[in-house]
Amino acid sequence: MSAHPGPRARLAGGLLLWYAVLGGAVAWAVHLFAAWGVDELTCASGRERIGALPLQAVVAIAVVLPALATVGALLAAALVWRRTAHPPEGLDEHPVRRSRLLAVVAIWSNLLFLAIIVLGGAALLVLPPCLR
Amino acid sequence: MSTTAAPAPGASRQDLTLLEEHWGERPSLRSWFSTVDHKRIGRRYLVTAGLFFFLAGVSALTMRTQLARPESRLLSPQEYNQLFTMHGTAMIFLFATPMLFGFGNFLVPLMIGSRDMAFPKLNAFGYWVFLLAGLFMWVSLPFGAAPNAGWFAYVPLTERVNTPGLHLDVYSLGLLFLGIATTAASINFIVTALKLRAPGMSLNRVPLFVWAIVATAFMVIFALPALNLDNAMLFLDRRFGTHFFDPGAAGNVLLWQHLFWIFGHPDVYIIVMPALGIVSAVLPAFTRRGVVGYPLIVLAIVTIAIISFGVWVHHMFATGLPRLSYSFFSAASSIITIPSGIQIFAWLATMALGRLVLKVPLLYLIGFIVTFVLGGFTGAMFALTAFDQQVTDSYFVVAHFHYVLIGGAVFPMLAGIYYWLPKITGRMYHEGLGRWAFWLVFAGMHVTFFPMHLYGLFGMPRRVYTYRSEPGWDAWNLVSTIGSYLLAIGLLLVLIGVVHAIRRGRPAPPDPWGGDSLEWSTESPPKPYNFPVLPEVHSLHPTWDEPSRESMGAGATEDRILAEGRRTLFTSELDGRRERVVEMPEASLQPLVLALALLVFFTTMLFAWYPVAIAAVVVVAATIGVWLWPPRRPERELGVST
Amino acid sequence: MSTRGGIAAATGTEALTTELPVGRSTGWWGMVMFVATEATLFACLLGSYFYLRFQHGGSWPPGDISKPKLLVPLVMTGVLLPSSLPVVWAEHGIRKGQRWRLRAGLAATLVMGATFLILQASEYADKLREFTITTNAYGSLFFVITGFHGLHVLVGLTMISWLLAASLRGGSFGAHRHDRVRNAAIYWHFVDVVWAAILFTIYLSPRL
Ligand code: HEM
Ligand SMILES: [Cu+2]
Repeated sequence: MSAHPGPRARLAGGLLLWYAVLGGAVAWAVHLFAAWGVDELTCASGRERIGALPLQAVVAIAVVLPALATVGALLAAALVWRRTAHPPEGLDEHPVRRSRLLAVVAIWSNLLFLAIIVLGGAALLVLPPCLR
Repeated sequence: MSTTAAPAPGASRQDLTLLEEHWGERPSLRSWFSTVDHKRIGRRYLVTAGLFFFLAGVSALTMRTQLARPESRLLSPQEYNQLFTMHGTAMIFLFATPMLFGFGNFLVPLMIGSRDMAFPKLNAFGYWVFLLAGLFMWVSLPFGAAPNAGWFAYVPLTERVNTPGLHLDVYSLGLLFLGIATTAASINFIVTALKLRAPGMSLNRVPLFVWAIVATAFMVIFALPALNLDNAMLFLDRRFGTHFFDPGAAGNVLLWQHLFWIFGHPDVYIIVMPALGIVSAVLPAFTRRGVVGYPLIVLAIVTIAIISFGVWVHHMFATGLPRLSYSFFSAASSIITIPSGIQIFAWLATMALGRLVLKVPLLYLIGFIVTFVLGGFTGAMFALTAFDQQVTDSYFVVAHFHYVLIGGAVFPMLAGIYYWLPKITGRMYHEGLGRWAFWLVFAGMHVTFFPMHLYGLFGMPRRVYTYRSEPGWDAWNLVSTIGSYLLAIGLLLVLIGVVHAIRRGRPAPPDPWGGDSLEWSTESPPKPYNFPVLPEVHSLHPTWDEPSRESMGAGATEDRILAEGRRTLFTSELDGRRERVVEMPEASLQPLVLALALLVFFTTMLFAWYPVAIAAVVVVAATIGVWLWPPRRPERELGVST
Repeated sequence: MSTRGGIAAATGTEALTTELPVGRSTGWWGMVMFVATEATLFACLLGSYFYLRFQHGGSWPPGDISKPKLLVPLVMTGVLLPSSLPVVWAEHGIRKGQRWRLRAGLAATLVMGATFLILQASEYADKLREFTITTNAYGSLFFVITGFHGLHVLVGLTMISWLLAASLRGGSFGAHRHDRVRNAAIYWHFVDVVWAAILFTIYLSPRL
């Protein structure tokens, strides 16, 4: 374990941290635009299907995929949190402490965004897609 | 925990002379117009925003005087329309955000241990634009040409056929002009906070106020374009006959509302967020401990900034969205209350666990919590659709948003004014006078706005210039008016307190409160170069911890004094590792020239003198070209291969 | 010192706490933020196009305006999108201190950008015979969106000419000083990418 990660591993690790921090937020934004846009536009055109798929299924996809992406970000955040709990000897403590803060923020924010996506998506179970 | 002794300067006398030479400005007319010192600019923001607050406040008092009795004839309906529109527009755009940006300008470089903002000239430019745009809008009032269709200027009322005259052109051009300043300042805040933090200030040691300002700046970057586009379209519709909002020609009036609220909802947080940052900054000094739950407050700041973009639809109940789409937005609206709640509970916990020092700033913080929570409570009532439809466009709404805005922005600002007055002016304020002012402001605020809930429920609509005598209306309206005069007297006492402090106040020590962040580690008021020795940060509360303080004392190394020029340090984005020494720009008249050229542009657009407007654009381009023109350097230094 | 790769390495403490982004200049951040806010503006503009189009319901373009023809805009695309390449090439050149590459690259981009604007003028001349900015909301959208983008091209070209002038003077840029080149390049790439979005929105999407 004494060897240091190479530049590619570092890049991947750094990106993984940002996925953990921002993944939920981005997934929620995508979910909101996709689900709202699809629902609004399809209903406005007077249909309830998109191609072969019923509208409900398409909206459901726009709920489930972002939710899964958020869960992924949550797991990544948990990983960073664990990895920064007992940093190996001899590592500069600045980046570790900074990453730990980001990990805490990431865990809670992913939970919040997951809650929003799930709450909004739950309406799919009770509301017909084009009811006004 | 705290020291009141002057920070032992680690810089030698000779260094101090050099620093003074490179950063100091001899008072002269020219330096007044050309300064790029963030402290002077920050002070100007505060004073100018204060002036616009005064004008908007006088407008409000005039309205309240008119509404004191039924069927009063003090104001004509046209005058009343212009007054409430200018009041709302100025309070939101010319007072709230610029005032908080003024605090940001003064404080951010001090709090992060830097010598100036990242782009000092851009900073000066932003101030001039703000000043000129504000004057541009206010000057229309005496000519009877001020905006008159409410602060959100809904079409079709605002289309030319329905509101002829310059009114709405002043609105759209004025806000576009102002938008330049707000965007410039936001970019500057973000870059400053990313690159100019003192060595050692990794993200987990950044003061909460700086987090709040940066989050606000990001919100501006992504929200303001919607408003700018909206205003540009409105201007084109009115002036050049486009049809964006004209349903008769494939346009749509709801487009205005959507774009307006895509901006408008985040804007509520743009106003409140930095004010909440002030709360987190002031609290430690008066509870003798750090704010509880630093990571959770950072979480709240970041998530509120993001989620606030996803809730705009709740301003448009009546527009017939599919219920399913609506639920995606209401999920966001209900979850955003969680981070807001986290902040309130963190502050309450801080107060409960700390030792309270009941000085004026803390009084305002308590006033803030009480008022803001009440405003939040009436806000939650709107979530009931039936209730919302009942009180929409009544005085209940006016009561609600004044509780939120005065509670959530004005009270924290007042706390901030008292708290940082010693730092800004180098003088202490009079505690007794401050207390009187607080109680008058607090009582005046509630006496003015609480009754509005009542007559709102009794059915009094907002935006009416007068009313017939109705049961329950007359008496409560009179109470509101009396309250507004109390409030005005209280605010006047605040002003007197400030002037008194500047004229007669005791000289302030560097750290009168035992504050925790870096601005308390330097003199009051700070020297033009802020810190003789740039600090090295070892914790979240650098002024409270020994190693951080010592880093500025004897034994400081040359590489943090940097006296050989107008220099400061760049550090890395996340961890605040030292990167390199940079040369900062000197004072210059270019920012003022650029702002004036823009003023000419917007004024000539208003009056349709288009050839002059084109000439102004050329001047703008030329000024920017000269401003950024690369200095000539020897080939060796540049690194040119032949 | 030996280095490691693979998933285990990327998820170790040291890799996860890598500082990223790092070492950018203030100018770079300033330009990126500026581009971010401008991109939001264009997103709102194109969003408005789709909003009006779908709320309109009927045939699009409305009235007796025909669907936009593709030939000229495709040629415009063919001129504008590749114009980023000389900028990249010029920037890489000046990083190595090769001033001639900077000058040649900027000049090439200048020519391509100007060609784009000339083509746009001919496109306008053509369209104005059919409809104007005041015909209906479609006309307003068409001319405001493309016109606003054209304005950005003009600003970008002004930046490029300004860089070219500075580089011809000498004593401006070299291997250690090229911040301004890179910042202008970021802006130019942005203007290019926005054109692709506009091409899709205005010209291609009515045919979908
Ligand atoms: C200083 C004491 C203040 C008083 C006495 C006051 C009074 C009023 C009154 C009477 C109205 C309602 C006019 C009407 O609907 O007919 C009003 C509207 C409004 N006020 Fe205030 N106000 C004060 C402070 C503020 C502050 C600090 C803000 C924001 C930061 C603010 C923002 C607004 C806005 C946005 C409107 C709505 C304007 C519109 O309807 O377009 N006010 N104010
Ligand atoms: Cu809202």
